[in-house]
Amino acid sequence: MPIVTVNGKSVHIQELNKGAAETIVLVHGMFSNLSVYYFNIAPLLATKYHVVLYDLKSHGMSEKTLLGYDLESMTNDLLALMEELNLQKVHLGGYSFGGLIALKMVILFPERINKLAVIEAPDPNDDKTRGIIDEYSREFLEHYVENFTDTTKVKMGKRQMERNHRMYEYLFYQTSIKTDMELEKDFFGSPAIETIQKSTLLLYGTDSNCLNAGKHLDGLIENAELIAVPGDHNIPIQQPLVIAEALLNFFQEK
Amino acid sequence: MDTIATTKLSGEEIFDLMKKFITEVIGEEFVEEMDITPESSFTKDLEMDSIEIVSFSEKIKAHFGEQIDFTGWLSSMDLDQLINLNLGMIISYIEECQS
Repeated sequence: MPIVTVNGKSVHIQELNKGAAETIVLVHGMFSNLSVYYFNIAPLLATKYHVVLYDLKSHGMSEKTLLGYDLESMTNDLLALMEELNLQKVHLGGYSFGGLIALKMVILFPERINKLAVIEAPDPNDDKTRGIIDEYSREFLEHYVENFTDTTKVKMGKRQMERNHRMYEYLFYQTSIKTDMELEKDFFGSPAIETIQKSTLLLYGTDSNCLNAGKHLDGLIENAELIAVPGDHNIPIQQPLVIAEALLNFFQEK
Repeated sequence: MDTIATTKLSGEEIFDLMKKFITEVIGEEFVEEMDITPESSFTKDLEMDSIEIVSFSEKIKAHFGEQIDFTGWLSSMDLDQLINLNLGMIISYIEECQS
C-alpha cells in the first residue's frame, strides 16, 4: 500500500500512469475515500494522464488526525503532497467536500493549478449540508444508509456499519471537523471565489440538492461551465463513465 | 512486499492466495466467522467495502506484477458487476492471464 508522509502524517495515495506528461490530482469527499475514483474514473483518465488519488486525513487508509479540517489546512496538506511527489503544476478535481478543497486550492495557490473540475461541491452555508454534521447519531447513520445510499445500490452489512460508525464517531466527536466546517459557511460569499480565473468545469446531478450550489458557482466564476448529469449527489458512483468522459474532455480541451 | 510470482498457479492455489489476501485486508477475526468459497461475493458475502477492495487489488498487483492488469479489468465493470463480483470470477481471470 503506497504511503507518503505529508505534514508529519501518513497519507495513502494511489498513482496511475506515472510516466504521463501531465498530472491530474483528484480529491474525494467527506466520509468517503479515494475508492470513489479508483475503479472507473481514474483508469479512464489514466489513459492520457498521470493520475494521483489520495485519502484525506482520517479517511480511507490515511492516518487519523484530530485537527485541521478547515479548507486552508486541507489545502496545505494537498500542497505538501504535491511537493512530496514533485508535482509543480496539476489539473485538479474534487468531489463534494473535495470540491471545496479544490476551489480553495485554486484561490490560494493558482500558480500550481492548470484547470479545475468541481463535482457536486455543496454550499457550506446550506442548512442541509451542515445539518448532517450537527445531527449525527447512530440512528442518523442507520437512517441515512437505509434511505439515501440506495441510489448507489450498495447496502452496508453489519461489519461495514460498525466501521463507518466508528469513523463518523471519531470525526464528529473527537476531531475539530464540526467547528472547522462551521467557520467555512461563508465560503461562497467570500470575494475570493470571484477571483478564480482558471478554466473551471462544474459537474452536478440534475436531481441533486447541491445543483443550486453549482448554479451559484457558475455565476461567480468567470470561466466556468456547468454540466448537469442525470443523477443526484452520488453521480460519480451512479455515472462514473459519464463523469470520467466529461473530465477527460475538459482537461484535454485546449 | 510480496515477491512477484513467476510460476503458474492452479485454481486451488489461486483460491488459497485470495483467501490469504482477504484475511490480511479484513482481519482474521472476521474471516473465521465466514465460509469463504469461490461463490463468495465481495460486497454481499464478504462485506468488503470499496477501500478494502482497493487494498485487495493492490495485493494482487504486488503479487502478480505485469502479468495481469487487475485494475484495468475491474474498470471495465459497471456498478452491478462490481457488486456481484465473486472470488471465482477473479480466479478465472487470473488463470486466463497465466495461460
